[in-house]
Amino acid sequence: MLRLIAIEFKRGLLMLRRYPVEMAGQLVVITLIFYGLFLGARYVAGPAAQFGDRLDALIVGYVLWTLTMFAVGDLSWGLMSEAREGTLEQVFLSPFGPLRVYLARNLAALLVVLAFNLAILLVLLVLTGARLRFVGAALWPLLAALLSAYGIGYALGAMALYFKRIQAFLNLFQFVMMFLIMASLEQAQGPARLAGALLPVAPAAGILRDLLARGLPFDPGAFAVALFNGLFYLALGLWLFLRAVHLTKRRGLLGGY
Amino acid sequence: MEAVLEARGLRKAYPARSGPVVAVDGVDLTLAPGEVLAFLGPNGAGKTTTIKMIAGLVLPDAGQVRIEGRDPHRDPAALARVGAVLEGNRNVYWRLTPLENLEYFGVLRGLSAATARRRGRRMLERFGLLEKARVLTQQLSRGMQQKLAIAVALVHRPRLLLLDEPTLGLDVEAAERVKALIRELAAEGQAILLTTHQLAVAEALSHRVAIIRKGRIVAEDRTQALLAQFSGEHYRIELAVEPDPERRRRLSALGARVEGARVVYAGEEEGLWRVLEVLRPLPLVRLERHRADLTEVFLRLVQEEADA
Ligand SMILES: Nc1ncnc2c1ncn2[C@@H]1O[C@H](COP(=O)(O)OP(=O)(O)O)[C@@H](O)[C@H]1O
Ligand SMILES: [Mg+2]
Repeated sequence: MLRLIAIEFKRGLLMLRRYPVEMAGQLVVITLIFYGLFLGARYVAGPAAQFGDRLDALIVGYVLWTLTMFAVGDLSWGLMSEAREGTLEQVFLSPFGPLRVYLARNLAALLVVLAFNLAILLVLLVLTGARLRFVGAALWPLLAALLSAYGIGYALGAMALYFKRIQAFLNLFQFVMMFLIMASLEQAQGPARLAGALLPVAPAAGILRDLLARGLPFDPGAFAVALFNGLFYLALGLWLFLRAVHLTKRRGLLGGY
Repeated sequence: MEAVLEARGLRKAYPARSGPVVAVDGVDLTLAPGEVLAFLGPNGAGKTTTIKMIAGLVLPDAGQVRIEGRDPHRDPAALARVGAVLEGNRNVYWRLTPLENLEYFGVLRGLSAATARRRGRRMLERFGLLEKARVLTQQLSRGMQQKLAIAVALVHRPRLLLLDEPTLGLDVEAAERVKALIRELAAEGQAILLTTHQLAVAEALSHRVAIIRKGRIVAEDRTQALLAQFSGEHYRIELAVEPDPERRRRLSALGARVEGARVVYAGEEEGLWRVLEVLRPLPLVRLERHRADLTEVFLRLVQEEADA
């Protein structure tokens, strides 16, 4: 599995390098966004700006938003372009099976995105001399949010595999993610509060708000809920994906027909 | 020796608006080590569906596939024994170089990166692609891309190579190069199942031919035997003059057919001498034993089926 992650990492970087303009564009955009955050421009953090005004809170909010969006769409966009270009079936011929290959691929891609963001962040910290007081505990809800988000990603991947053209649907999902991150259901009462624990990503976003915006201490109970939520959605997503693989093979639709 | 491939009773129907389309209907195939089987049939006969069922990419409705005794639909280790180049697919990443493709897919098929790179370089050399090792695949010619796809399918040294229409869409020269490559691989003992709707390809490359029509195999034999069977003992004698009525009567008594200045005799060699006796001393232009090519075999089989 490590071998697989390593080769996917290499493949991902090589593919990026083949579009230097695009890659440079991405780096510039990330740099500008971080710079904006440094200047206190909350709006560049997008829907994640509600995690507090402090720089570290803005950055965590921005990272939550971009990483979850990435986790939700990465697999599906990849599957659709591979089906179009005619390499999808070769990937499915791997004795590792599609699940392990795509998990490795997702993980490698996440590492690349993380590395980009961290590198730019570090450079800006050095250049501006700004100081961050990171709440280390924020990493845990981020992780839980990513698990849920990848669960959604695999569920959407299941659809992409079978239907092949779900671009419009994927774009719509931005708004779903926005709702899940911004709804603040942890402050609601009654059934809405329950929904806040059951919906994907929402409990983790709630913990981040508690930690960063409200200055509350880390709540292990709430984290247990968020972690369970993440694991549940990931398992559900993986299960749906495997069902879709089976169904797609039955209909002979893997390579597109 | 254990068969490299054993497929029994494969069946596949696809759902469609006008009711299910039976694409493959009870196909059996066996491939011995080192054998090249051409799977021949017109468009839509079910070749690709069969190949994909063998490769684990399409789930059969019934029947089973064994690759060296393993089921590719249940046992992923079976896939390590297969390499495939699929029809109408790029099969490789155009944004990577040939060497990068070989390394990536080598690891994906279970090799270490170092082994994949080493073998990849050797394969590029063999396939005459070494000077293109660092060029992006999208900049290669169609023929080179196809050779690369075959190299990638072989990098993990599979026992069985599946080639679906390997020369389709190539210009004549590139098709010849790919054919020469396949012939070389076969000579080295690589078991190959190749599909084609081009008879000449099957005739040139295969030890055995299976002809499929509407999802069923209508003939299967050694390529030479199939040709011989349909050639029969069939002689054609061309004369400089038309035989006279008396000779024509005696010829037809021997079972020969006379068409103007040509005599066609379908029978044993012994009888041929009697036919020649009758013809003596008429001036001969040509005597030939007729040999069918696969085109004729194919047309006859497809015709018979249509009549049946
Ligand atoms: N995924 C699919 N869904 C529905 N019908 C299909 C599918 N794939 C193939 N078919 C149909 O099955 C038949 C056999 O197709 P195929 O196996 O591609 O034949 P060949 O490769 O011999 O040309 C054709 O009638 C084709 O239209
Ligand atoms: Mg076909």
